Amino acid sequence: MAIDLPNLGQTALVRRQLQVVLALDCSGSMTGDKIASLNYAMRAAIPEMRAAAADNPETDLMVRVLRFASGAQWHVPDPTLVDDLEWTDLAAGGETHMGEALCAIADILNPEYMPGRQLPPVIVLVSDGQPSDDFDMGMKRLLAAPYGQRALRVAVAIGGDADIEILERFIAHPDFKPLRANNAQDLVNRIKWATTVPVKSVSQSTNAPDPLTVLARDAERQKKTASDVIW
Amino acid sequence: MSGTTNDELPRGTPLMTVHGRRRGHVENLLGAGGQGAVYAVAIEGTRFALKWYHDDIASIDRTLRARLSRAIGIGPPTDRFLWPIDLVEIAGSKSFGYVMPLRDGDYNGMRDLIARPPKRIDLPLSKRVMVCLRIAQNFLELHARGFCYQDINFGNIFFHTQSGDILICDNDNVDIDGMDAAVFGTRKFMAPEVVRRETLPSTKTDLFSMAVLFFYIIHSWHPLDGRRENEVQIMDSSAETSLYGRNPVFIFDPQDQSNGPVPGVHDAIVARWNSLTPAIRSLFTRSFTVGLRQPGERVLEPEWRTNFARMVDGCVSCQHCGYDQAPRQGVKGQTLMPTVCVACGRPMALPPVLLIGRDTITLGPGIGIAIHHIDPDRPVDFTTMAGIVEEHPTNKGVWGLRNMTRNAWKVTLSDGSAVTVDPGRAVRIMDETTVDFGRRVGRFVTGDTASVPRERPR
Ligand SMILES: [Zn+2]
Repeated sequence: MAIDLPNLGQTALVRRQLQVVLALDCSGSMTGDKIASLNYAMRAAIPEMRAAAADNPETDLMVRVLRFASGAQWHVPDPTLVDDLEWTDLAAGGETHMGEALCAIADILNPEYMPGRQLPPVIVLVSDGQPSDDFDMGMKRLLAAPYGQRALRVAVAIGGDADIEILERFIAHPDFKPLRANNAQDLVNRIKWATTVPVKSVSQSTNAPDPLTVLARDAERQKKTASDVIW
Repeated sequence: MSGTTNDELPRGTPLMTVHGRRRGHVENLLGAGGQGAVYAVAIEGTRFALKWYHDDIASIDRTLRARLSRAIGIGPPTDRFLWPIDLVEIAGSKSFGYVMPLRDGDYNGMRDLIARPPKRIDLPLSKRVMVCLRIAQNFLELHARGFCYQDINFGNIFFHTQSGDILICDNDNVDIDGMDAAVFGTRKFMAPEVVRRETLPSTKTDLFSMAVLFFYIIHSWHPLDGRRENEVQIMDSSAETSLYGRNPVFIFDPQDQSNGPVPGVHDAIVARWNSLTPAIRSLFTRSFTVGLRQPGERVLEPEWRTNFARMVDGCVSCQHCGYDQAPRQGVKGQTLMPTVCVACGRPMALPPVLLIGRDTITLGPGIGIAIHHIDPDRPVDFTTMAGIVEEHPTNKGVWGLRNMTRNAWKVTLSDGSAVTVDPGRAVRIMDETTVDFGRRVGRFVTGDTASVPRERPR
C-alpha cells in the first residue's frame, strides 16, 4: 500500500527572481577594439555576477541580453540563470537604434515575461554614441510598461562620443550619473560594477535610505579612481 | 565589487600594526564588500586576515577607529569571534584597517543553507539546532559584556557541517550598547523599528536579528514571509517597508492569519515548523508576535540556549520517509507521546530515549550523554560526556549506558529492584528503568522498539 509522500523538498518553493536586462550598443562605431573589449568585459563580469547572486541566496538572478545597432535583437532572449549563462561574442555594425532597444525592453517589463515573485528589474544600458532613432519614444514606452517605472536603470558610457545627456535621461535620478569608461580596463570595471552592484544593493548592509543612494555613493567612488586616458 | 576599485592593495604591499609596531605584507585579496576589502597578510611569518577600508569610510563612519581600538583593548568575548587584533596602517595611504584571525576554510556560510539547490547544504535538523545553540551561546557572551553586534545576518556567521560549531566574522560594527550605530543593518534582518528608521541598532535589535537568523537556519526561510509576501509581485522598497517594518506579521502568528502559510506554497516550511519542540515554537512565536512590537519583550539568549540544548539530543527521523523531527513529550516529561510523522503522517516507531526532566535524549550506538544533562550546574557542553551507549562486549544486541562519571549511579529496575552502577560500569537500556545520576533522575523509555538503539541522525 503506497502512501503519497508530500513534496517537502524546498525545491518545490518557487523563488523570487531578480531580472537583469543588458542592452549593449553594437553600432558600427563599436567595431574593432571596442566590441572586443565589451565582449571581454562581459566574460569577466559573469563570474562576478555569479558571486553577487550567491550573496543573495533567496533570489535567482536571471539575465537577458539585447544587442542594438540597426534595429534591436535579443542576444540572450530567454531569462537565463546566471550560473547557466555562457557568453557568445557580439559583432558590431550598423546604426544606433537605442529607441528601438528601449521598446524591445518595454515589451518584456511585465508579469507575462517576468512571471511570479520579482525584485525590481535592473536594466543596464551600454552605449558609445548618440541614438540615431527616436530615443524619446522608446523611453516613453519603457516608462509606460507595467514594471518600467520600478526598474533600476544603470548606464555605461563608452569613450568620449557617448551621449551623456541621453544616458542621464535614461537613468533619471539626480544623484546617480552614467559611468564613464575611457579605456578597456575602465570598461571591464564599469561593466562589472553595473552588473553586480545593483544586485548587491538588495542584499548588503546599508547606511543609505534606498538602493539608488548606495549606488550613487559607490559610483562616486568609481569616478575618483577612473583613468583619464582617452580611448 | 572585487577588482572594480583601483585602490586594491598589490601583493607585497608593506604594512605596520599600530599598537604592536609589527611589520608585514599583503599576500592576496580574499574578498570585497561595501566598506572595503579583506586580504590575506603575513605578519612576522604568521598569516592573518586584513580588513582594509575604502579611503572615504573613515569620513562616513566617524567612530570606526575608536570603536576598533576599544574592541582590540577589550579582546574577543569567545574564541569563536574573529575579533580585531590590531589596527594596521600602510605608508602613503590615508586609509587604515585591522588584522584578525584567518577564517578556517572548513566553515561554510549561512547562505549555503538557503542557496538554490543543488548548491544548498541540507543539514540534519539536530545539526541546525546545534548551530543555533552555538550562536546563542556566543552572542550571550558578547551581549553580557555590554557590546552589541548591530548587523547580524547570514553573511557574517559561518558554520562547520560536522561539528555544528560556528565562527563570527565582521566584528567591526561591534559597539558599546547605546552608542550611535554605524549601520542600520541588512535587508530582512533589521528589527521593524530599524526598518522604520525610528531607532538605531542596539542589543534589543540584535535579539530580533538573531531570532530571524535562527528561523532561517532551521527553515531556510524568513519568518515574516507568508501569504502577503507571496502576493507581492515586485518587492520594491515600499513593499519591503510594509512587510518587515510597518505591518510585519509572523507566518505562524496564532492570532493573525493574514500572513499565514499558503497551502501548496509553504508546505515545506509548515512541516519544518511542526517538527520543532513546543518550547522552540513558543520562543519563535514570542519573538515574532509581541517581540515585533515590544523590543523589551524579545527572547534573550539563555532561553534560546536552554531550549536548543534540549532539542539537539532529541531529534529522530521517521522510519518511513526519513524526515527529522522532535518527538513529543507527555505530561511532565515522564513519557513520550505516540507520534505521527509531521511529514508523511504515518505512525513513527520511536527509538529508545533517556528522559531527564524536560530533556529528551535519543539513544543510539556510540551516542554520548553530555554532562550538562545530569548536572544542572554544568554549562551546556557537548564535549564532556557523562555516559556513552555501548553494546555488551559478549552478548550482542544488548545495549547499555556506560557510566563515565566519577560517581556511582543508583538504578531502579521496572520490577522495583535496585542496583548500583559504579564508575566505568554500564547499565542495560530497558524500558521503565530509572537512573539516579546524583543531581538529576532519568528514565529509559524504549516503547515497543525493544532495547535495540537505532542510528540517530547526526
Ligand atoms: Zn515520515
